[in-house]
Amino acid sequence: MVLRSLQTRIIFFFVLLLCALQGIALFLMSAANERIAKNQIAQELVVGERVFRRLLEQNSQQLGQAAAVLAADFAFREAIATRDEGTIASVLGNHGRRINANVVMLADLDKKLLANSLHTIAQQAAFPFPELVESAQQQGRASDTVLIDGRPYQVVVVPVLAPIPIAWVAMGFVIDDAVVLDLQALSGLQVSFLSRSGRGNWTVHASTLPPASRGELADRLGAEHTTVTLPLAGEDYETRLSILHERGDIQIAAVLQRSLKEGLAPFNRLRDTLIALALASIALSVLGSILIARGIAGPINRLAGVARKVRDGDYSQKAETGRSDEIGDFADSFNYMLEGIFERESKILRLAYEDTLTGLPNRAMFFNRLEQAIQSSRTNSDPVVVMMMDLNRFKPINDSLGHPVGDQVLQEVARRLRELLRESETVARFGGDEFAVLLPTGGMPRGRSVVNHIEQALATPILTQGQPIDLSASIGIAVFPGYAEDTATLIRHADIAMYVAKRNNASFITYEPDFEQGKPSQLSLLGELRSAVEEDQLTLYYQPKVNLRSGASDSVEALVRWVHPKRGFVSPIDFIPFAEKTGYIKAVTRWVLERALSQCGEWHMRGLDVKISINMSARDLMGPDLPRVVSELTAKYKIPAQLVCLEITESAVMEDPTRALETLERLHKLGIRLSIDDFGTGHSSLAYIRKLPVKEMKIGRSFVRNMVADKDDAVIVRSTIELGHNMGLKVVAEGVEDHAALMLLTRLGCDEAQGYFIAKPLPPDEYEAWLRRRRAIGEKLTESGFISDLKT
Amino acid sequence: MQTITRFRFLSLVAATACGIASAAGVNSSVTDAGGAPVADAVVYAFALGAKPEGSPRPGIMDQVNKEYLPLVVPVQVGAAVTFPNKDNIRHHVYSFSAAKPFELKLYSGTPAKPVVFDKPGPVVLGCNIHDWMLGYIYVVDTPYFAKTDKTGSARIDGLPVGDYQLRIWHPYMKTEPAPIALKLADGQAENASFRLELAPPQKVSPANR
Repeated sequence: MVLRSLQTRIIFFFVLLLCALQGIALFLMSAANERIAKNQIAQELVVGERVFRRLLEQNSQQLGQAAAVLAADFAFREAIATRDEGTIASVLGNHGRRINANVVMLADLDKKLLANSLHTIAQQAAFPFPELVESAQQQGRASDTVLIDGRPYQVVVVPVLAPIPIAWVAMGFVIDDAVVLDLQALSGLQVSFLSRSGRGNWTVHASTLPPASRGELADRLGAEHTTVTLPLAGEDYETRLSILHERGDIQIAAVLQRSLKEGLAPFNRLRDTLIALALASIALSVLGSILIARGIAGPINRLAGVARKVRDGDYSQKAETGRSDEIGDFADSFNYMLEGIFERESKILRLAYEDTLTGLPNRAMFFNRLEQAIQSSRTNSDPVVVMMMDLNRFKPINDSLGHPVGDQVLQEVARRLRELLRESETVARFGGDEFAVLLPTGGMPRGRSVVNHIEQALATPILTQGQPIDLSASIGIAVFPGYAEDTATLIRHADIAMYVAKRNNASFITYEPDFEQGKPSQLSLLGELRSAVEEDQLTLYYQPKVNLRSGASDSVEALVRWVHPKRGFVSPIDFIPFAEKTGYIKAVTRWVLERALSQCGEWHMRGLDVKISINMSARDLMGPDLPRVVSELTAKYKIPAQLVCLEITESAVMEDPTRALETLERLHKLGIRLSIDDFGTGHSSLAYIRKLPVKEMKIGRSFVRNMVADKDDAVIVRSTIELGHNMGLKVVAEGVEDHAALMLLTRLGCDEAQGYFIAKPLPPDEYEAWLRRRRAIGEKLTESGFISDLKT
Repeated sequence: MQTITRFRFLSLVAATACGIASAAGVNSSVTDAGGAPVADAVVYAFALGAKPEGSPRPGIMDQVNKEYLPLVVPVQVGAAVTFPNKDNIRHHVYSFSAAKPFELKLYSGTPAKPVVFDKPGPVVLGCNIHDWMLGYIYVVDTPYFAKTDKTGSARIDGLPVGDYQLRIWHPYMKTEPAPIALKLADGQAENASFRLELAPPQKVSPANR
């Protein structure tokens, strides 16, 4: 609006200025023109009068010459010489007509009138214009404007020469409208002839004026010889009086006039042209002003638009540049200002949302992103994982090595954390040694993977001042949707879970409402599991597998058993998933491997080669050191690698297929046998399974248990067996609990089986006893044999 | 404005020349108002006694170079005047004067018939085709006349003794001065002088001579 008015003001200013200038110019010019016109007309009239008088003179000269020629006509002179009145009158009339004289008079040398063509004359009448005769005596001829019978005539008097004057002839030419029209044509002026007697009224005799104006002229005409302005019939005439004849009280005058309107006409035409020019220039200037104003206001409006965008925080637009004028300079400065503002704002934003030490987002930024993630999770129901992470034993590092080292450690941790995350994921530092991780997509599988990565990342000691620093972290995990509905609660949950993990020496713990309800069962269980591992409360049992074709048994599955000092026997189902959740499973697996391979080595030393299968969790596969550990243990207990079989679940593989495949390949190269556990319960593709270097496939107990009663399960089992065989795998069935199942499996071509119907998991010595008994009875795959085994 | 002086002197020369014992003469001297001699003035004397006898002498008015020559030709009443045209072009001699209106239409050479001037008075001659040509025949009713020469003097001889009235005429004169009365004695030569006021006419300039 302001800019619009700027534009309008520019236009108004220029247009008003121009109007004023043109108006003043026109006014001055009109005034000057009228003055000039009057002067010019006055001048014209003066010149006109001169011309007019000269015309009259020429006229009279011509008339005089004509009269002289006429008077020299021999016959005319002869007639005059007759002195016969009748003859003279007729020759005067006749010869006067020859030169169109309106009146012809003859006077003798004594100025007595001898004849008058107008009417008969009285005896002894005097010639009415003796002064003309006198003048003609002097100059040979004379002329004047005179009144004859009240009408103006131009009269010339010439002598009749024979060859000396014998008489005077006067020839008169009436001045009528034809004459004045002629004079007007020659002089360009209005011409009137008037006369008056004494100071009386003028009488108009002939005039080029319209009849209406003549009366007014007679009424208004004074005796001034200068130019005056006379209004006649509504029109102004510049008027000049020229006295032609003054004798006695008779005045004959010519009035020369010029219409002021006519005189002004060229000026008026000029004025009209100038007005048209003025209007055109005003129109042009309006146009030009609009263009210029747009040229100014347009860019300013656009600048204002950019400024509004900047106000709303949008820095993407720049003021248009490239103009070389002031507006261009302004736009450049404006853009510099934008860049400055943008840089400062970015800096402020960084300070507001960034941890200055590590360059990671800070708590505020994390909350923002978490909020966004939760918002989008509400629409696409992708679970959001939040982790709170606290470095263990960071305070002692800080205290003993100093803050600079502590800061270095934090920066390195931040760097490693950032590296292992995807672009869409966030790691923030909340302060101190507290970090937070946000996984907006992928849910817990991604969460477990990330936890793994974090553990691996922290497993490499950090070198500061040449000194390696070992680090570990406690991680609390909370998932949305779940128990929390908002960011603050979610973070609080993760925080609680982290403290639980720390207290329990666990690498990570997922939040459970129990944590806040004072139900420490699982928590204490974790602590107890830890002590169980350390205090050897765990034991390994070995469940034999039998070959369904030979009935022989040369392999076992190692199964962990926990006999709690207070609780008694704790089922693996109760603590293994829990251990997997907290990451403690790695310690458990490590313990199991150690114990199982130790047992295997012992048997091998005594000449009893028993193939031992050990269950691996997903976390075991993700760790880089499993092949190394296995390799070390086989070496330590001097057992051939082919005696060791690692069982892995489909789901464990699928958590990070690439990494799992890598680990499996390395194990395979060591000669370790690999088996797919619980086949059919995961969601792996066959194509992927085929890539795995596995030798064996185990059908889960859930299918085997019901296969006799449930046709569908039987179909699954049969298909699985066929599938396994087609893929070149040995197929092992778990959970064989009755004879019918065993028979069915045998009939279906299953390779091996294990289960309570064959033998329950046994301590090593009991297994050896079982094995001896079976070999003693010839390893017959008999119903009784199995039953008897079961009973022992 | 005339002064008349009268001289009486012996004029042996004149008497001898005339060969007449009883003869007298008149010497006239004519001046204008400024005292300058006036040529072409006709001085003539009327005998107050018996009329003189004898036929008048003819006159000649030449036309030379488109002018009448001389300007004035005085003749006695009844005299025949010839108008020989000496130019190689024609002339049309005319006069509207009361004493003798006539015209000699375009002619060359000398017309066979002279013009007889039978009334006294001035006869103004013009030429109808040469407006500027102006000549005068002055017809007097007396045989005693003479014309002044360039010096303004004219002599009339052979006048019988007696009383005379001496008059003067000039084409330009405004008014005729009063006649001078003369009593001529034998062998005497009287002197007379006239003073004239002249008004020369507007001379028409020859357009193309």
